[in-house]
Amino acid sequence: MRGLYKKILLSFLVAFMAQNAAANEQVQLQNRFLKKIDEVVLIVEDKKLSKDARNRKIVKALTPMFDFELMAKLSLDGAWRGLSAENAKKFIDLYVERMKNSYSAKIDAYEGEKVKIKKIQQPKSDRIAFVTDLTGKENKLEIVYKFYKPKTKIPNKDEWLIYDVEILGVSILKTDRAQFREFLQTKSIYELMDALSKQL
Amino acid sequence: MLFIFVAGFTQCGANPIDRQNEDRIVFEKENDNIENEFEEFADEFESEEKTSDPFASYNRVMTRFNDGMYECVLKPVGKRYDEAVSLQVKESIRNFFNNIYFPVRFVNNLLQGKFSHTVQETQRFVINSTLGILGFFDPAKSYFKIEAHEEDFGQTLGFYGIKGGPHIVLPLLGPSNLRDTISLYPDALLSPLDYTEQSYPTLTDTWAEFIAAKSLEEINRISLDMDNYEKMKNDAVDLYPYLRDAYEQYRKKQIEE
Repeated sequence: MRGLYKKILLSFLVAFMAQNAAANEQVQLQNRFLKKIDEVVLIVEDKKLSKDARNRKIVKALTPMFDFELMAKLSLDGAWRGLSAENAKKFIDLYVERMKNSYSAKIDAYEGEKVKIKKIQQPKSDRIAFVTDLTGKENKLEIVYKFYKPKTKIPNKDEWLIYDVEILGVSILKTDRAQFREFLQTKSIYELMDALSKQL
Repeated sequence: MLFIFVAGFTQCGANPIDRQNEDRIVFEKENDNIENEFEEFADEFESEEKTSDPFASYNRVMTRFNDGMYECVLKPVGKRYDEAVSLQVKESIRNFFNNIYFPVRFVNNLLQGKFSHTVQETQRFVINSTLGILGFFDPAKSYFKIEAHEEDFGQTLGFYGIKGGPHIVLPLLGPSNLRDTISLYPDALLSPLDYTEQSYPTLTDTWAEFIAAKSLEEINRISLDMDNYEKMKNDAVDLYPYLRDAYEQYRKKQIEE
């Protein structure tokens, strides 16, 4: 009987510690995320910088927080398996560059909006999602940042990395998967890479 | 891919054939890792429903037509309108149209049992129609902090579990699906913009009045949202599936809310 009590007590203790560790990780990531947002806002508001210099600085600040490479791989889904090493590298480079350009274009529209985390979700121990509101003068935009924790830390990257962003329910990754899948039904990977390079 | 970079740096002096072999081995190893990554993230895409698209050929043609109309007609008109009309006036016109669609939001919030939203929509309509001078201003939001709750009949049907059905691109209106296209009719019955004489008062009674009011509403909306469509287009490798998927995901989210 005493053994049973011990087991129950131990499992409660383990569950409590796991919950506590998860809460700590959430708080740490939240602090890092908000600090990064502040850093980006400071760069955006630095009037001394040219638009290009500003965007380069922002992309440099944000790159350690994003796993663009994983996004590139997941966006191709099954088609990734058929790529040669050379094409795989070329595709990742194009995808990463396209993401950075797309992000820079969106920064240009920034008009003093504020970011507020309204909900934190942790569906798995290695996944955290921040549901945020981007509040401007007129509108509020819900943006979800989805993080994962790689099993082994990637050099020059943060511990938790963003692998998808949802804007008003529209996932960047899912939309890319859909359009790439459809594109590759009738065209080749070379044509897809051509189309991506034209976007740069 | 990082392995490839590292391998490239550390093997600078090696035989080129050996290096190629090593690259291949590293890539194969990397491919094993990606299999694990695909498996790990499989749950993310489980809910990724393939949109029913039996009208794909028509939809592609209509997307090209709509995009052409946007580039050749709506965008130039929108730009001229943008230059001629100040932002405050444009926002007031948008507020006015939003306010007159109150019956659509009221009924659909009610049909979904969202009673607090129904009350808030009523409060917004009363405040904006009076203090907001016929709805041209939005003191309900700016002063009383009462948020709008957009609901339409498509969302109401979705709320009761009715799926979107085949995707349909509508002329000028853009992406839609069977459920949302059919839902335009009941929503139109609740709209104060109409093209025939009705037994109840409406703001427009003839086709000419209806088209004039709708054109003003659309051009005003386009001039305020022009950048968003342009940015979406820049992210699209193939515009039709991109807009189709973005629309279906957006509607799913609206219905879930």
